[in-house]
Amino acid sequence: MEDSAPLIPALLALVGAGTGAWMLRKSWGSKDKANRGWLVGGWLLIAASFIRPMLALGSVRGFFIALALVSTAALGVVAANYTVRQAKARAARESLAPEPSNRATTKGRETLRWLLAGPIGMIAAMGVGIAWAALVPGEQQTRLVVGGLIVPVAWGACMAWTLADNRILRATAVLTGVALISFTAAIVKGFA
Amino acid sequence: MTAATPKPPRPAKKKDLMSRIPAGFVRAVLRGHSSLGLAFAALIYLICLSGSIAVFAHEFQRWESAAAPQLTEASPDAVQTAFEGAIAAGGPGVEHVYITLPTSDFPRLLLYVDADEDRQFLADAQGKIAPGGEAAWTEFITRLHINLHLPRTWGGFLVGLIGVALLSSLISGILAHPRIFRDAFHLRLGGSQRLQEADLHNRLGVWALPFHILISLSGAFLGLTTIIVGVLGMAMFNGDVNKVYALFIPAPPVDDPRPAPVLDLRPMYAKLPQDGGRLTYIFTEHPTEMGGAALFNVEQPNRMAGVDSYAFRRDASIYSQQKAVDNNLGEDLLGGMGQLHFGWFGGGIVKIVYFALGLGLTYLAASGVNIWLARRRDKGRPAPGWERAWAATVWGQPAGIAAAAVAGLALASAPAAIGAWLAVSLLFLAAAIRLPATRLSTLGRIATAALTLAAAATHFALRGGLNSADPVAWIVNLSLIAAGAALLLPELRMRRNKADPATAAA
Repeated sequence: MEDSAPLIPALLALVGAGTGAWMLRKSWGSKDKANRGWLVGGWLLIAASFIRPMLALGSVRGFFIALALVSTAALGVVAANYTVRQAKARAARESLAPEPSNRATTKGRETLRWLLAGPIGMIAAMGVGIAWAALVPGEQQTRLVVGGLIVPVAWGACMAWTLADNRILRATAVLTGVALISFTAAIVKGFA
Repeated sequence: MTAATPKPPRPAKKKDLMSRIPAGFVRAVLRGHSSLGLAFAALIYLICLSGSIAVFAHEFQRWESAAAPQLTEASPDAVQTAFEGAIAAGGPGVEHVYITLPTSDFPRLLLYVDADEDRQFLADAQGKIAPGGEAAWTEFITRLHINLHLPRTWGGFLVGLIGVALLSSLISGILAHPRIFRDAFHLRLGGSQRLQEADLHNRLGVWALPFHILISLSGAFLGLTTIIVGVLGMAMFNGDVNKVYALFIPAPPVDDPRPAPVLDLRPMYAKLPQDGGRLTYIFTEHPTEMGGAALFNVEQPNRMAGVDSYAFRRDASIYSQQKAVDNNLGEDLLGGMGQLHFGWFGGGIVKIVYFALGLGLTYLAASGVNIWLARRRDKGRPAPGWERAWAATVWGQPAGIAAAAVAGLALASAPAAIGAWLAVSLLFLAAAIRLPATRLSTLGRIATAALTLAAAATHFALRGGLNSADPVAWIVNLSLIAAGAALLLPELRMRRNKADPATAAA
């Protein structure tokens, strides 16, 4: 037997999520408290868009189908309501958007920063993932896969942090410490 | 005269959570976001672009094999005949044969023979090996996405690293834009290029965030698996990584290299339970040795990781079986990760949505650099060299990929496809030394359009495009023609306006 055809539940989810996003848009720009109904209704409709696919197509399969469709529907609402901005003569003032910081740095500090974001961050993230697999109770496969999923998340967070933080020595100390503690704890406990 | 009554102080406006992030922190995170984006932009762009196209890998494989026989079912006898035929045609040193059985998504009987020289075959409903099974372009695009055509381990690691960089950019992107949720519905086009690109970048970034997280996390996990398992094996299994894999896959059969007749799959078929599942894949190991074995994958409907597996010895006795319904969370997560990453779990509609959101992510990578370049220009510090290099990358890659399609179809060879892609990519980078960015973009758009149309023409001429009974081949050809025309349209309109200014003014 093949999977149930997803077209009808998917289209229903698309319409539901699109309407929900449109309701959210109505509430978004308004300061009127009466518009709270649009806000609550919008989120409820988006949540409801998950139900039909989950019932008809399998809970996990249906959830992820709906998740992809909700993003698409919301982007459709945003795209359908674009406005055209007139080109203005260059204003004398600076843009209001935040600008990246101009921190003073040296070649050595930048090298260390990228080492922290790259290999050192990776080792620390692996330590955390492996420590999770070793120390947390549960089925062996689940611990390993969840530990494996922690690695990219933790490494990504390390990258975001170390490339932003001006106090590079603090980041060095924290990442080295995390790597040492997590690997030691995992090796001492072992995998059982 | 009365003294003016002092106005009551205005109540402090309640700030939303994102607006409470200190400005210094935002600027620091924005710096990190920029650095990371600029360092990895080209690779993120290439991996996202190839991944968006690879969503349709099955459709492209059907397109390439348009002249091959279509099957909805394959009988055990036909599979056995095809299996024996593929081994006979596969040459010496056969280690494994992977058999993909026909489904509605991929109506072909496909056999991949891992021998001294790896080969792939298609078979008809009687199991007779049929010509027309070459899928050089599909192999090119999937391998480009999975390992960038580098050695498997290193390429996979690099792609995993890019997944991590993308995930990190998503984290810093949200933290660096305090207004990202407040402005979630504002899309202002026109005016300054920087503001328009920033609006598109931020709207795509916020509404497709769940998809972006899913794709980057699953991609990073799949790419880094080898190294994670390696470190895990070293740290906790005395360096034996096989102990980690053994937790997820059936134990291999006992090795017995004595020669034997080709494994008979039919008695194994007879032992599969009739429980509503569908046999989709057979993996055979050492099929011409006494120690030969076969693993049958039976897919249960409406489950993400719904594969039951039955491992048979040569005498058709089962030595290992695993039911999807008994999977724990870890096995389900691992089993569903590939499908979830490539969008192969919800039919055509999910593939189209994945393709569109994937292109959105590709645009996110491109627009990040465009914003940086525009900001430099606005500040009176333009970077024309980087503008040229970026235009060459952004347009050189789709042109290169389209060239690979033409070469893959014409020569039926994956190395030829890789060569064409490399040549066009390098040509664009070389052109960036002399040509300005706007000219490169125009040239790139025209080249991509022309090569996309050429791919459809090559298919019609050499791969039975006009006589194909497979509707997917027609859909792919029509999509290619539509994409080519859509890419040419702005250029044609601009030329017409130049030639006839009166019409343009009207």
